[in-house]
Amino acid sequence: MSQIETKSLYDPSYEHDACGIGFIANLKGVKSHKTIDDALKMLENMEHRGAVGFEENTGDGAGVLIQMPHNFFKITCKEIGIDLPDYGKYGVAMIYFPKNVVMREACRKIFNDSIEHLGLELLGYRNVPVSNKTIGKTAISTEPKIEQAFIVAKDSYLPSDALERKLFVLRNWSYHQFCQQFPENKDDFYIVSSSYKNITYKGQLTTYQVREYFLDLSDERLDSAFAMIHSRFSTNTFPKWKLAQPFRYIAHNGEINTIRGNVNWAHCNQTLFESSLFTKDEIEKLLPICDHENSDSANLDNMIEMLVLGGRELPHVMMMLIPEAWQNDDSLKDPKRAFYEFHSSIVEAWDGPASISFTDGHIIGATLDRNGLRPSRYCLLDDDTLIMSSKAGALPVDQSKVVKKGRLEPGKMFVVDLDQGRIISDEELKQRICTEQPYRTWLEQNEVHISKIPVPEKPTYPYNLETLKQRQICYGYTTEAVKENIAEMINQKTDPIGSMGNDTPLAVLSQQSRHLSNYFKQQFAQVSNPPIDAIREKIIMSLKTSASRSFNMLSQSSVHCKQITFDQPVLSNSELDALRHMSHPDFRVTQINAVFPANGTPGDLEKALQKMCADADKAILDYTSNILLISDRNTDKNTAPIPTLLATGALHNHLIKNGLRVRVGIIVEAGDAWETHHFATLIGYGANAVNPYMAFETITTLAEERYIAKDVDIESANKTYIYAIGAGLLKIFSKMGISTLQSYKGAQIFECYGIGKEVIESCFNGTVSKIGGLNFDDIAREVLVRHKAAYPQLPIVNQRLEEGGIHQWKHRGEKHLFNPETIALLQHAVRTGNKEIYKQYAKKVNDQAEQQFTLRGLLEFKGNRKPISIDEVEPASNIFPRFATGAMSFGSISHEAHTTLAIAMNRIGARSNSGEGGEDEIRFVQKENGDWERSAIKQVASGRFGVTSNYLANCNEIQIKMAQGAKPGEGGQLPGHKVDDWIGRVRHSTPGVGLISPPPHHDIYSIEDLAQLIFDLKNANPNAEISVKLVSKAGVGTIAAGVCKAFADKVLISGHDGGTGASPISSIHHTGSPWELGLAETHQTLVLNKLRDRIIVQADGQMKTGRDLAIAALLGAEEWGVATAALVAEGCIMMRKCHLNTCPVGVATQNKDLRKVFKGKPEHVINLITFMVEELREIMAQNGFRTVNEMIGQSDVLRQREDVSFWKVQKLDLSPIIYKVPAEPGVGLYKSIPQKHKITDVLDRTLIEKAKPALEKKQKVTAEFPIINTDRAVGTMLSHEISKRYGGEGLPEDTITYKFRGSAGQSFGAFSQKGIRFELEGEANDYFGKGLSGAKLIVVPDRNAKIVPEENVIVGNVSFYGATSGEAYIKGMAGERFCIRNSGVKAVIEGIGSHGCEYMTGGIVVVLGKFGRNFAAGMSGGIAYIYDPDGLLPQTCNKELVDLEDVAFEDIPELRQLIENHKNYTGSSLATNILNNWDDSIDKFVKVFPRDYKRVLEERKKKQEASV
Amino acid sequence: MGKPTGFLEYDREVPQYKSPAERIKDYAEFYLEFSSKKTETQAARCMECGIPFCHNGCPLGNIIPDFNDAVYHQNWKQAYEILSSTNNFPEFTGRICPAPCEASCVLGINKPPVAIEHIEKTIIEKAYQNGWVVACPPQVRTGKKVAVVGSGPAGLATAAQLNKAGHTVTVYERDDKIGGLLRYGIPDFKLDKSVIDRKIQILEEEGIKFQVNVNVGVDVTVDYLLQEYDAVALCGGSTIPRDLPIPGRENKGIYFAMDFLKDNSKRVQGSKVLRDEPINVKGANVLVIGGGDTGSDCVGTSNRHGAKSITQIELLPKPKTERGIDDPWPMWPQILRTSSSHEEGCQRLWSVSTKEFIGDGKGNLKAAKIVDLEWETPKPGQRPNFKEIPGSEREIPCEFVFLAMGFVNPQHEGLLDNLKVAYDDRGNVKAEYGKYATSVPKVFAAGDMRRGQSLVVWAIHEGRECAVAIDTFLMGYSNLEAKETSRYSLK
Repeated sequence: MSQIETKSLYDPSYEHDACGIGFIANLKGVKSHKTIDDALKMLENMEHRGAVGFEENTGDGAGVLIQMPHNFFKITCKEIGIDLPDYGKYGVAMIYFPKNVVMREACRKIFNDSIEHLGLELLGYRNVPVSNKTIGKTAISTEPKIEQAFIVAKDSYLPSDALERKLFVLRNWSYHQFCQQFPENKDDFYIVSSSYKNITYKGQLTTYQVREYFLDLSDERLDSAFAMIHSRFSTNTFPKWKLAQPFRYIAHNGEINTIRGNVNWAHCNQTLFESSLFTKDEIEKLLPICDHENSDSANLDNMIEMLVLGGRELPHVMMMLIPEAWQNDDSLKDPKRAFYEFHSSIVEAWDGPASISFTDGHIIGATLDRNGLRPSRYCLLDDDTLIMSSKAGALPVDQSKVVKKGRLEPGKMFVVDLDQGRIISDEELKQRICTEQPYRTWLEQNEVHISKIPVPEKPTYPYNLETLKQRQICYGYTTEAVKENIAEMINQKTDPIGSMGNDTPLAVLSQQSRHLSNYFKQQFAQVSNPPIDAIREKIIMSLKTSASRSFNMLSQSSVHCKQITFDQPVLSNSELDALRHMSHPDFRVTQINAVFPANGTPGDLEKALQKMCADADKAILDYTSNILLISDRNTDKNTAPIPTLLATGALHNHLIKNGLRVRVGIIVEAGDAWETHHFATLIGYGANAVNPYMAFETITTLAEERYIAKDVDIESANKTYIYAIGAGLLKIFSKMGISTLQSYKGAQIFECYGIGKEVIESCFNGTVSKIGGLNFDDIAREVLVRHKAAYPQLPIVNQRLEEGGIHQWKHRGEKHLFNPETIALLQHAVRTGNKEIYKQYAKKVNDQAEQQFTLRGLLEFKGNRKPISIDEVEPASNIFPRFATGAMSFGSISHEAHTTLAIAMNRIGARSNSGEGGEDEIRFVQKENGDWERSAIKQVASGRFGVTSNYLANCNEIQIKMAQGAKPGEGGQLPGHKVDDWIGRVRHSTPGVGLISPPPHHDIYSIEDLAQLIFDLKNANPNAEISVKLVSKAGVGTIAAGVCKAFADKVLISGHDGGTGASPISSIHHTGSPWELGLAETHQTLVLNKLRDRIIVQADGQMKTGRDLAIAALLGAEEWGVATAALVAEGCIMMRKCHLNTCPVGVATQNKDLRKVFKGKPEHVINLITFMVEELREIMAQNGFRTVNEMIGQSDVLRQREDVSFWKVQKLDLSPIIYKVPAEPGVGLYKSIPQKHKITDVLDRTLIEKAKPALEKKQKVTAEFPIINTDRAVGTMLSHEISKRYGGEGLPEDTITYKFRGSAGQSFGAFSQKGIRFELEGEANDYFGKGLSGAKLIVVPDRNAKIVPEENVIVGNVSFYGATSGEAYIKGMAGERFCIRNSGVKAVIEGIGSHGCEYMTGGIVVVLGKFGRNFAAGMSGGIAYIYDPDGLLPQTCNKELVDLEDVAFEDIPELRQLIENHKNYTGSSLATNILNNWDDSIDKFVKVFPRDYKRVLEERKKKQEASV
Repeated sequence: MGKPTGFLEYDREVPQYKSPAERIKDYAEFYLEFSSKKTETQAARCMECGIPFCHNGCPLGNIIPDFNDAVYHQNWKQAYEILSSTNNFPEFTGRICPAPCEASCVLGINKPPVAIEHIEKTIIEKAYQNGWVVACPPQVRTGKKVAVVGSGPAGLATAAQLNKAGHTVTVYERDDKIGGLLRYGIPDFKLDKSVIDRKIQILEEEGIKFQVNVNVGVDVTVDYLLQEYDAVALCGGSTIPRDLPIPGRENKGIYFAMDFLKDNSKRVQGSKVLRDEPINVKGANVLVIGGGDTGSDCVGTSNRHGAKSITQIELLPKPKTERGIDDPWPMWPQILRTSSSHEEGCQRLWSVSTKEFIGDGKGNLKAAKIVDLEWETPKPGQRPNFKEIPGSEREIPCEFVFLAMGFVNPQHEGLLDNLKVAYDDRGNVKAEYGKYATSVPKVFAAGDMRRGQSLVVWAIHEGRECAVAIDTFLMGYSNLEAKETSRYSLK
């Protein structure tokens, strides 16, 4: 394995998991075996949330944590001769020993010796009885020998808590010793749990196997008052028993996005550890607590354990590590706010989506992260049983015993105190914890806000416009940077927007000196965790930062908050001056100069960095400085600036290694920071705050240059600039799912292309950099080119800045693959059908000996296979079906451009892609001449525009867009003026009303959610292939493996450089990786996992020639997508103005006049594909391949070119890309086995059978069915049958009336068609009514349940996501994000969670009860009526897009009708009461009216009146 | 970016000319007033394309979208700085360039292109008006000396750039005034000579030495040149005209176009003339052979003389009126162009070959015998062939014929032969494009002398790039702005 890691692109650190979790507890602490048994049942019902690999009987891991079963052990130990003392006097270590006897005994010796050494005593070992009969080969291959060690303290009076600490030391220390002795075998020895109170049974098992495997678990004598379970869905299948959960304190469903930073900070913080509860020696034995080799969840568990055993109570620790969104929530008051504020100076949040169950044996509880992106439902029974789980109904219960049903809310906690025998509410618990110390007083006495520090009268460095240009050149400024970046940020108040992707070389291939940050690409979330909407959900985001030293984490005192605080990380010059000159007893600032001699002597830069580090050590140790100011100001003719990113990374990493990083804050005075990405990299690599002094100085010239309006004063321009950088930063954090700057700081959320090992290790340690690259001298060389341009040997008159040309092609700018020559040649070739001209074009693109653009350009064919005649190569017509055009929505490109692509693709049997904007149903019908405008691929993106049952029924492939190359991790926005009548109709939205695509799919927060959506869509069209579009990045292979395990038929690896739509320029250029890397990693990982033959791999991203296709096939792709080149073929000339609607050739515009000038023809596109295929066939012949299938993954016919003389390129090592993973015989290298979709036995088969009279003759049918939580996507396949027969029309209302009773699984009623009426008695899980396409859904609580409907959650999160039409009446509450992206459903409900009606664009929602925070965020259309007798809505509603109004007179009939319907359908007493007191009630309703929508309605009304 | 929707709102508009009847009365430029407000509006039509094809179409690499944007924002000074960073002589190109930039303007795909040339001219004229065009002599002199032979656009550009780099530059011109073809080849009504003079003055103030009436190779030996200077730039142009050796060529009244134009220009400018008797076509029938720009200049000049009739004939067929499959956008379109001189009156014939010049028996030209041609569609990769149409022979009465059929190569005897430079197979000085070094050490060549007859804008381009090559040769590096290479280049 390790050899493969170094040679290939696969890296185990990429692995992700997501899970099902839950617990059952008896409130009164009554122990029973039933609790365990029920928990295991619940676990088994979560099977679909876990996953299996290529072997069905090898799971990803599952387990259960229970209280110490003292009685059971007492008896069973007696049988083996161990006499156990009383409960609390002994501990049990559950141990995975190696199978190998020699190794095992070596482990045992270490363990036994450690016991002895720590003053403990071993009573004996017990072999844990297991049965591995049903577990898979892979799991068996690494199955450990599992034993339990029984341990007592030599001192029999030692209190239980002290014993617990000793057991903790024992576990860590013995493991550390083992790792030291056997560094190659770290996975062979593992202590699952070692405690006197709890024990964990877990393994690389499926959920069903847990019970079968551990015989103890079926023993009736085994009892506990609670049982916490976990089922893992991992992206990989490499067996690792120890990664199964629960751990010792928690079961975690989610992902810690900031893990690298958290572990680094923990590594530093531990140097300050002191505790009265541990001896110094014990603390040393415990360390390290966290390390990069562990999973994020395991590290979190370790950290929690340390803090708990260090003296804090468990809920307190959870509040520290997973704080609520406190920074921007005005409703949050002291003492809670003070608590969080105080603790933010002790530890940064461990940020990411998280649903966590936790226990210390006395309490058991659960918490959700600040954003609440994981489901958590609970149910309390009248026998004091509490069931908490990722999903409702996981354990079937007698509904008549249910007292309460609820859900956990974002940032909230829920604790059962088994000693007190009661549930402690979030409020009570936090109130107590937050008042234990005078946090506010401590803060007031010690924290210093930057605004409170006096600013010196005269600036230290006044502006100097005379030397400005020279210094700008020295720091790498270009005209483009000044005009298109800095000025645009001030003009647009946000990151500038661009379009048409990126066709410039990677920084390491560029022949121009590039900013160091250009070598770093931002990471982003896809599949395994969701990105966040930093705009609509800004309530959870924060830019607050602080600087100074930290203190011992194991204690708390007033000094812990001696920090200088900042509202955001961009410091003005005067703020920096204030810091520079401050005199304050608590703070001492030392400047560290980041400069080096400019004479080009090798080693100078590295020496300068070393000196910086030495200076810093000295400042900290000798002068007790607690703030370091890295400055690159002191440059001149002989002194060049060190890139501040390099300087910051070097210092940060140095101080982490020697443990001093927590003793200082780092402020950077950076001449080379002006765009968002620069700030992101600086902060990501350790800066607490940044002063971009050159940017401020540049701003003083902008008005003069007319880049900004003449009347903008400098002060406000600076402010706008700072604001825009902040907004850009939030966007960057959020695309990775990170909410706060504090957590982002030092989290190193980047991957790197083109920096060599030595630099990475000393400055960017841990950053993925797979292809090698520059060393220190090389970086110096790049800097010195700029330095020399700034300080030429002879002075230059009228010095001008360089062009830049990164976005707009310029002669002297960065090179572009699509340039005037290649565009002209390609268009000439496809219009004339002249193959010779195409060849000229292809030569210019392919031959990169002189000018390098792409990694594939650096590869060449070895020619090690015997050439064959081209006649022997499969014909072009065989190859055509492997093509797809890229996903471009109707809306982003014109109807003409869109249909031309569709007709072209349909003519040659290839596939065009609808994009995310829906598709006009008139295109579903083939034309008389045989042409077909129907897109074979229908895309499902986060906005779900126009995604109806009928849309999904009319395709061959459904593509789930997880991300797009141009802006992975971000959503889109279509401004209202672009939504004309046609687009509005196709998107099922109101013309004139703006549309927002959320950054995440709100039904995909994790890999198991994706599996659910795939399942839903497979039901929505069983004949369509389901494809998942990912963007290439380090780790994408692992995600692709997860996608395969989620039963996708196809995965698309999209290069970072593609992209036809509009997106922030910083995303276009600084996010994602080239497809060569992502594709190769995907293929390698899938082959390693033996999953490759289950899934088609497609690649796209600037595919321009047949050679590109050949390389892609050899690296593992059996299909290709072509987008930009296809657009160019039909007329695009790379205006890069798609976002302005002014495309002058009618491609990317909706302007009627401009659409008329569109000249593209299907023939042009077909010519392009034909040329590409012919070129491919020639390459196949030259390399002896008869078919494309033969080529796939045969990367050993490639090698790295050696004839490229450019010095930067010579540093690269592309061997990981072309590494061919050794595959065992029989492991397929391309898709040859169909996925098992598990849709053969779904409930819908029965529903369809019963509905035959309706389907065939439109006759009314009624029927009743029981339903359980594994019945998912009920109604979806039935609706497909309706769509197939009746299209978008569906059936007449209530043709099919079905009644269900029980707990419905996820996606109940998803994409349900007109004519369906479902009545559910009981409850439903998440995604209820997703994509509803006309059906009527009614939910009431079980007839036996005693719950009060409006106070109990009976429908899960994210209901009616993307619904387009239909009705719903729910007697009870729903979870978060009710009616998100609804565009037409009318729904009545009795209470909802947070983010209700988010991004809604149409429909009507009536809420008769509670409504959570952030209601109506991003709501641009539709209307909500909220019954708000207490007048609370104004505080919790997000009023950015909506107004709150009284219900208008003309609204009343419809509102009343809906409530009457609700009463009639559900028998709601709430509705009855409201109706009975209608005149009073109507005044208590608030109408939530989106402003945009209101405007459109008014305009429409005026028009109508005018026409009358 | 200027105005995203400008191109949708405004149509192309450029200054009108005086009426033909008015303008042929003298040799003055004949543009009518055009407000700068209007020019700013024209600049708003620029779309600032992701790929500015104009910027590529311009041989100089003028940064057109950027100066358009500056003009739209009324920041004329910035526009001037941008323009002058790539073009030493926008006052020339703004007047006489055929504007390949406009041919490749993206807007030109389906609308009239942006009025780039007009904007360019306006920028530089505004710069002069506002006193922004001032001498910027280099701050430091390198002590290196360079001779530039020829003071046409290539020579002037070479000299200007080398001087900027701090070298001491001497320009040699064999004629009596600086400017080469600009001075006497291009009629005054197309380029007023004060435009050259004011620029030369600035170049002189910047330190360039101009030596006129010096024919290098004759008046100054090449040995002297090579001894005295650290580098030599050959920018003498392509001066040997193509002849038409058919019967009757010896008759009086048959001139090379350049002889006619030069003689006329010298008289207009009051310079010393080489012949006593002017070539005056007043009241005469004029035949111009050759359908290019020089021919067109002969037409314009003849009209100003008051010719009785003017006929311009061309061997090639009449071009199409629109682009075809072989010259799609953004290529230079082979379409029919009607110059201002044509508007002033002349008959144009295409697919016509001249068979014979017919004299009046006294050695004076009386007529020319021409014949119509039929062109065959060429086979791929072959030159097209023509054949005469039987029975189409006829005579055109003419007392004057101007041969405007282009130039063959630079003059070999004298300078070039003495230097013993190698020639390419077309007889031009051999020097690789982009490198400009000839076969003789430290001797460089640029412009028509190297590339053969071409446009002024190409000459300026070659001059600038040649200067970079010479500077690099002298210093080991160059800080001069080059068309393709950024100063941030790592190579």
